[in-house]
Amino acid sequence: MLKSYFITAWRYLTRHKTYSIINVAGLSIGLACAMLILLYVKDEVSFDKFHKNVNNVYRIVTLSKFNGTYHKDGNTGFLQGPRFAKNVPGIQSYVRVQSGAADLQNGQEIQSQDLLYVDSSFFSVFTFPLLGGNASTCLTEPHSIVLSEDAAIKHFGKTDVVGKTMMLKEDSLFVPFKVTAVAKKCPQNSSIQFEVLLPFRESEMDAKNTDNWFNFFLNTFVVLNPNAKLQTVENQMQAFYVRDASKAYKAMVEKYLNGYDEGMGTYFLQPFTDMHMSTELPSQNGLQNASNPMYSYILSGIALFILLIACINFVNLTIARSLKRAKEIGVRKVIGSNRKQLIFQFLGESFLLCFIAFAMALFLVELILPVFNNLSNKALSFSYLFDAKLTGTYLALFLVTGLLAGFYPALVLSGYKPVETLYSRFNLAGKNYLQKSLVVLQFALASFLIIATLTIYSQFNFLTKTDLGFDDRNIVEVRKPGLKFHEAETFKAELLKNPNIVDVAPKNDGFWGTAAKISNDSVMQFAYETVDESYLPALKIQLVQGRNFSKSNPSDATNSVLVNEAFVKKAGWKNPIGETVNFYYLDNEKYQVIGVVKDYHFVALNQKIGPQLFTMKPSNNLGLFNIKIKPGSETESLRFIQAKFKEFFPLSPYSYIFKNEQRIKDYESEAKWKQIIFFGAVLTIFISCIGLFGLSVLSAEKRTKEIGIRKVLGASVSNVVATLSKDFLMLVSIALIIAIPIAWLATDKWLQNYPYRISLNWWLFAVACILVLLIALVTVSFQAVKAAIDNPVKSLRTE
Amino acid sequence: MIDLKHINKWVNSGGNRVFLLRDINLNVNEGEFISIMGPSGSGKSTLLNVIGMLDEFGEGEYNFLGQPVHQLKEKQRSQLYKSHIGFVFQAYHLIDELTVYENIETPLLYQNINTSNRRAIVADILDRFNIVGKKDLFPPQLSGGQQQLVGVARALVAKPKLILADEPTGNLNSKQGEEIMELFKQLNSEDRVTIIQATHSERNAAYGSKIINLLDGRIEK
Repeated sequence: MLKSYFITAWRYLTRHKTYSIINVAGLSIGLACAMLILLYVKDEVSFDKFHKNVNNVYRIVTLSKFNGTYHKDGNTGFLQGPRFAKNVPGIQSYVRVQSGAADLQNGQEIQSQDLLYVDSSFFSVFTFPLLGGNASTCLTEPHSIVLSEDAAIKHFGKTDVVGKTMMLKEDSLFVPFKVTAVAKKCPQNSSIQFEVLLPFRESEMDAKNTDNWFNFFLNTFVVLNPNAKLQTVENQMQAFYVRDASKAYKAMVEKYLNGYDEGMGTYFLQPFTDMHMSTELPSQNGLQNASNPMYSYILSGIALFILLIACINFVNLTIARSLKRAKEIGVRKVIGSNRKQLIFQFLGESFLLCFIAFAMALFLVELILPVFNNLSNKALSFSYLFDAKLTGTYLALFLVTGLLAGFYPALVLSGYKPVETLYSRFNLAGKNYLQKSLVVLQFALASFLIIATLTIYSQFNFLTKTDLGFDDRNIVEVRKPGLKFHEAETFKAELLKNPNIVDVAPKNDGFWGTAAKISNDSVMQFAYETVDESYLPALKIQLVQGRNFSKSNPSDATNSVLVNEAFVKKAGWKNPIGETVNFYYLDNEKYQVIGVVKDYHFVALNQKIGPQLFTMKPSNNLGLFNIKIKPGSETESLRFIQAKFKEFFPLSPYSYIFKNEQRIKDYESEAKWKQIIFFGAVLTIFISCIGLFGLSVLSAEKRTKEIGIRKVLGASVSNVVATLSKDFLMLVSIALIIAIPIAWLATDKWLQNYPYRISLNWWLFAVACILVLLIALVTVSFQAVKAAIDNPVKSLRTE
Repeated sequence: MIDLKHINKWVNSGGNRVFLLRDINLNVNEGEFISIMGPSGSGKSTLLNVIGMLDEFGEGEYNFLGQPVHQLKEKQRSQLYKSHIGFVFQAYHLIDELTVYENIETPLLYQNINTSNRRAIVADILDRFNIVGKKDLFPPQLSGGQQQLVGVARALVAKPKLILADEPTGNLNSKQGEEIMELFKQLNSEDRVTIIQATHSERNAAYGSKIINLLDGRIEK
């Protein structure tokens, strides 16, 4: 019996190739998407769980109030780890993890190497197996270095390197460090990723200075006793903190905050495994791969959409196809089959199809995985599939899809009455509301995603192309942190000797923020930029009032600042020129505003322009050179800059970036979203079209006789095409009417995330509508034209 | 074997009752070969379908082999016709995806007959119908006459007591038609299979032992 079912099914599939291909292609794409997302979700869920003791590991985090708002911070400092571990009984041990970089000498070359400073307990708290060396002692000696497999290969070409030495820069000298251990590569689902570990060191003074309670710059992890209660430990931590730090806190409030006390803040513990997907307390500061759970939701949503649409296709096509199979069903019933057997037969067929689709999907997954990894920022591999749980889930996915797609058609088909089917009295025409609403649903989803894609593309375009208020073309950024003003000026003068170098504008490295009192004694926060007089002209930043810093005015360096328009607005100044800014915590250093800079986007466009202040204060460090070069002189200029850099700073690593490329990097996350939604939309519309195509084929088949009669009566080809396409286009139009308002709401909501955004335009929706209708029309008319040019005599005779 | 009493069947069309069968009384004994004649639309197929229990009727009594069909439930009814009735259709109604062999075998599959028995029964019938050489072909590869031969073979394979044939020669040329009618005659006389056929053709009707004329759903006396 089973064999017979199988044979019929197989022959049926091979004989109706279009139908089978449509079904298998759609389903396998749907399944492949679902599989990828399962892989992704599994990886997200398993993040950091490979550590043996992970359920007892927590990160020390804080909740504090600043300027009236609460925020949580995952960072801590020198003291939290050792002092809590010593004074709170529930805490077994601690490890501090600080990210950093060191310059590393390899022959003549000097490279900058990212690394982590960790306490010697690192390998007892976390499970990172070693290839060589002793886990408990490898980080105890000061000049020890632990390499990862990759780093060992990078620097020595092999992993068997315990006992060898490497030259690392300490202060200004290169000092030998002894390799004490080599660790296996960190699993990709780990928040802690390291190539190089160095022992964490603190001076006696730092360890004793109670002020360090308030200096946050690293992550502290603690291991709790297995039977300690989290709540109790947290309470004890807080109690100890208040006892230990109150005095220092009060002194600090007096000194820096004018006695404005907003509370000492609260310590609590975050489970280690919660970090990865936490939006409030994410993995950062040396911890990597932090992930927004939103990605999981959106990806899963899209995958579900696609799988759903593929299943809808399957149901639709199978039922539409059943007209052809009605005869077989009638015959089978007449010669002795009962309904149950027929249901089994059709379920079996859908499972066969699903099985083929499943096999294809596995193949597809293997094929798409690199692209997907790139999109999702992961290094997933096919071998993950051999995990028992995941294999189980995939099997479940297969069964569910088979049932979902096969059960309804099986139920409908097996219910046909033999007399009706055998005497051609059978008519599936009916209203077919289900089929039609499924088509509408598909196209509504597809249209929604197309509109979303268009919106995201426009917004992305806006973010990357909009005028930032400064000219970022032909500007090379070179970093050399920690330079004094006069050092920077010498280097600048040397660069300017080359006629290809138009201007050099040094500024501070990175983003600095600080606070000061403005005239009416209120404290204001702002971005703090240290620049020289070249900065504004080099970047073509406009001044709206007053003047720029000037060499001819030596007092500018010590007395003057520039502010931007946002600063003026926030300060509420009517006549900003001549107003004073008071750095009260620096013994009331006072500066005069000499000019107002037009607001420019000094931070990425996904943040609003905030108050900004420019100074030339000589004691500040500079660290970043904006070097404006002549257009077309890139190769020569870069060679020249590099040569000069090596000459001036032989012990520092050199790297450069074009400022306008930096801008693309700022929007990496947007770029990723753009791609994800784009792929989702393409797949959805593709599968929807496959389904529509299938239905139009069947509809044309069903209406062969009608078309024949119409042609005999004198209908032209275009008449017939219109007749056949009209109904489908109607459905697609309804889908659009449903999709547009929802898409409008959703995209509008998304755009609210951006302080600078495009406005939603009617043409965007018009383009989407035309696109969807066009795609649908092409899909449908392809078959309609074919049916319309068929010879009517042939179709009528077979009736 | 078959006893129809006052059978009425109608459909409602625009508020009117249109009778398909009107007061049919018919008695068929085992071993009879009955031809039902009548013009298109006279109700021949409907009557066959009622006898074959594929179609329901509005009023009347129908006893088949002593069982009151009008009182049976759908399931019991289909059980009854599956085990006793074989159908032959004008359009053959073979399953295109199955070979000749598999088409004939299918009814036996539904009756859960084991493999070796099935093979023997099908081989026997292929042999008897002289279609052994065609057993691996698919229906579209056969001529109309050959397809109908397979149709008859399939109807017979489960050893029914009754064969219902609805215009079995309607799609065939006269020579093919004659062969099928000869086959029916032989089955009727040698195997004692009861046959009821609907036909347009006087000549084919003459193969039967009794002719019933239908007009507008009524048996003409």
